[in-house]
Amino acid sequence: MTNLWTAPDAPMLLSDAASRTAVRALLLAMADDELVLGHRHSEWTGFAPDIESDVAMSSIAQEEIGHARVFYDQIAALDGTSADRLAFGRTPETFCNAVLTERPNGDWAFSIVRAWLYDHADAERLQAVAASAFGPFAALAKTLLREEKYHLLFSDAWLERLARGGDEASGRVQRALDAAWPDALGLFESTPDTTHLSAVGALAATPDEQQGRWESRVRPRLDALGLRPPVGAAPMRGGRYGRHLPDLGMLLMEMTSVWRSDPEARW
Amino acid sequence: MNLGQIVPGAAHVYAVFRQDSKNDPHVHVGDVHASDAEMALIFAKEQFARRDPCVNLWVVRYTDIGATAYEDADMFEPTTDKSYRFGGSYREQQRAYRRR
Repeated sequence: MTNLWTAPDAPMLLSDAASRTAVRALLLAMADDELVLGHRHSEWTGFAPDIESDVAMSSIAQEEIGHARVFYDQIAALDGTSADRLAFGRTPETFCNAVLTERPNGDWAFSIVRAWLYDHADAERLQAVAASAFGPFAALAKTLLREEKYHLLFSDAWLERLARGGDEASGRVQRALDAAWPDALGLFESTPDTTHLSAVGALAATPDEQQGRWESRVRPRLDALGLRPPVGAAPMRGGRYGRHLPDLGMLLMEMTSVWRSDPEARW
Repeated sequence: MNLGQIVPGAAHVYAVFRQDSKNDPHVHVGDVHASDAEMALIFAKEQFARRDPCVNLWVVRYTDIGATAYEDADMFEPTTDKSYRFGGSYREQQRAYRRR
């Protein structure tokens, strides 16, 4: 993978500290989203409703964590550290993932609804990066979009079958949607960094614009499935600024326990 | 002949056929349980195409497969020497087939 910071058109970034900081911040937010959600998905390994979904969800978890790694590697190249250290060696308040991704799984309906809302949002974000005026940044996003296609197929197929699966299933999906919707809106939390990147063309759509596109994708589909997003829900913001639920701290405690036992170990 | 009765109650079991490249036949690689064909394809992608190369998948519900009975397997046994039918030594034939 190309090193973003030494790519042919990198001088734009290297000579401009504000853009460099902003690209780093967006990479970190994307990486943290993917790592934390990937870990939540991985908690289904061995417990999904059927063996086929167990394998599929585990693969999706690996792929989300793989995407996180791609982003962490770029940050590590800039900071002079490693992806492992970025993933395992940080305290919860330095994580920039949206709160949606750290919520505990609960039932399968919640995990499917969350994955579906997230995958659509992630697709919009990756497309905004893929259309970036900064070539290497765009190329990075394009390679990841391909895997996201299957993630969406999987979560959309499950969402449809749960929504049409009778009162018990559709009730669970609706409750999951009620719970996840405000958190999902929090995915589009703007920061000075995203504002800067949009202004210089490094991000082709602001988070607000991404949210508009996301809503025009998810609302008609939910409507067709007889699901209703809560009206007037306030977005759950703060994640991008390091404000998290205690759940993230517990997740990190477990996820990093092996790494912390010997941070210098080579694998 | 048995038609569509391979596994009793197998309405939700799909046989999965994977094609490695466009010149290859679809090969039966295993089964998935699924509520319908679309879901079966989504599952099959991860069960059978996450490691090996793949360009196309088929899924077929077991109840839609016609099959011979194992009790009738003797009909496949030759009673006289039919080695003249074996084309295995014709390497050029195999190669030409692959090239199509």
